[in-house]
Amino acid sequence: MVRLEGVRKRFGDLEVLRGVDLEVARGEVVCVIGPSGSGKSTLLRCINLLAPPDEGRVFLGGVEITGKRTQAEINRVRQRIGMVFQQFNLFPHKSALENVVLAQTTVLKRPVKEARSKAESILARVGLSDKLGEYPERLSGGQQQRVAIARALAMDPHVMLFDEVTSALDPELIKEVLDVMRGLAADGMTMVVVTHEMGFARDVANDVIFMDEGVIVEEGPVRRVIDAPREERTKRFLGLVLER
Amino acid sequence: MDAIIEQYFDLSLMWDSRSEILDGFRYTLQLSVVAGVLSLAWGLILAILRQIPGRAGLLARIPAIAYIDAFRGVPMLLVVLLIFGSLGALTQEGAIPEFIGIPTWFDQPDVFWYGVFAITLTYGAYMAEVYRAGIEAVPGGQMEAARSLGMSHGQAMRRVIVPQAVRKVIPPLLNDFIALMKDTSLVSVIGLIEVVQVGRDIQAETLNSSALMLGAILFLVVTIPLARLVDWQIARQQAQFQRGLA
Repeated sequence: MVRLEGVRKRFGDLEVLRGVDLEVARGEVVCVIGPSGSGKSTLLRCINLLAPPDEGRVFLGGVEITGKRTQAEINRVRQRIGMVFQQFNLFPHKSALENVVLAQTTVLKRPVKEARSKAESILARVGLSDKLGEYPERLSGGQQQRVAIARALAMDPHVMLFDEVTSALDPELIKEVLDVMRGLAADGMTMVVVTHEMGFARDVANDVIFMDEGVIVEEGPVRRVIDAPREERTKRFLGLVLER
Repeated sequence: MDAIIEQYFDLSLMWDSRSEILDGFRYTLQLSVVAGVLSLAWGLILAILRQIPGRAGLLARIPAIAYIDAFRGVPMLLVVLLIFGSLGALTQEGAIPEFIGIPTWFDQPDVFWYGVFAITLTYGAYMAEVYRAGIEAVPGGQMEAARSLGMSHGQAMRRVIVPQAVRKVIPPLLNDFIALMKDTSLVSVIGLIEVVQVGRDIQAETLNSSALMLGAILFLVVTIPLARLVDWQIARQQAQFQRGLA
């Protein structure tokens, strides 16, 4: 479903991704772990071209999405990739329902009735039927994040990208978001999840990737990488994270 | 002391001149509202042009920035005089149609419309910078979220960024409107008989400034409530912000 070949990305002087190869099969859940600054967020942004790679290629569903592309083509690619952010990024001037409806009508040109009923059913799925008319400022962090997930899902994406989506949440609110993500995985969604939640990774991921300093240091089935890491850097990182 | 009061607050003179002053103030209000609305719109267009991204966007960005620099860098009085001096002459020479060169739309005199042009051209530039600050104050994550949903830059601006930006900058825009309203008095130099001009004429006739004072009071009747409106808007936004932080 998603494939990266030799992806490099630089921001000014700083090379954040230094040659990344990755393959995510349909229906797979891949968790990306690693210290901050390792390039995990940039990796996600290379997949949906928010940060187009300087070198290398990205494939979605077997078709290359990098290379010379018009802005319209890039926008169309992004319709098929959903992304959820650490800071939620809900539109504050729109209610929860309107947040989920907006891109459906604006981008996919769905009729308003259809968009609304789809929004209502997805918001019900994430447990927010009673919050449709609420504005983001009146929702808890966990609720906002669930709206954000619903907003991305409403576009019927082929793959969902999650960028540390629980890192900005109070601890008691994390579970409700992870539960939604578990549900998505169980339903067969292809997911790339940047996370610090090792428990979630162990339960849900097929593969885990450990990144450090812009490269993939180790990757493999989740049980192996987390429980029996081979690389020294992986061991050190897991030692720090799991110890808490 | 009595002499001062008589010079500025001669009530019977104020009463006598009230209909002329009010007529002049009517021009002031009309000029303010028409030019104000046009400036708000023109300023937003300029602000959006100013930030169109990409290489193709340079064709919009460069003229917009040049325009804004020019009209913020030159006194509005100069702009008023340039327009007044040129449009009439250009029409005579046939360079522009009379419909535009000597406009008498809606039965308003040509100098009224020259005033509207000058104010809109100038205040559009000021308001563009206010809008720009608002646009830049919208968190970057908003644009990221909108683009990641597949929205084009234009769709993201229209649906997500600009609505938030405009809400943020209502106080400074209102302040600019108050300034605009006061600057309508500059149009008096090209012959529009707005309130300051009326007051001046009466001042010259009577050697007494009370009519002008009445004009000043009329200004305050409008600008002071507007200033309180600005304060109220700022307080509201502060309260919203505090709630958001909670």
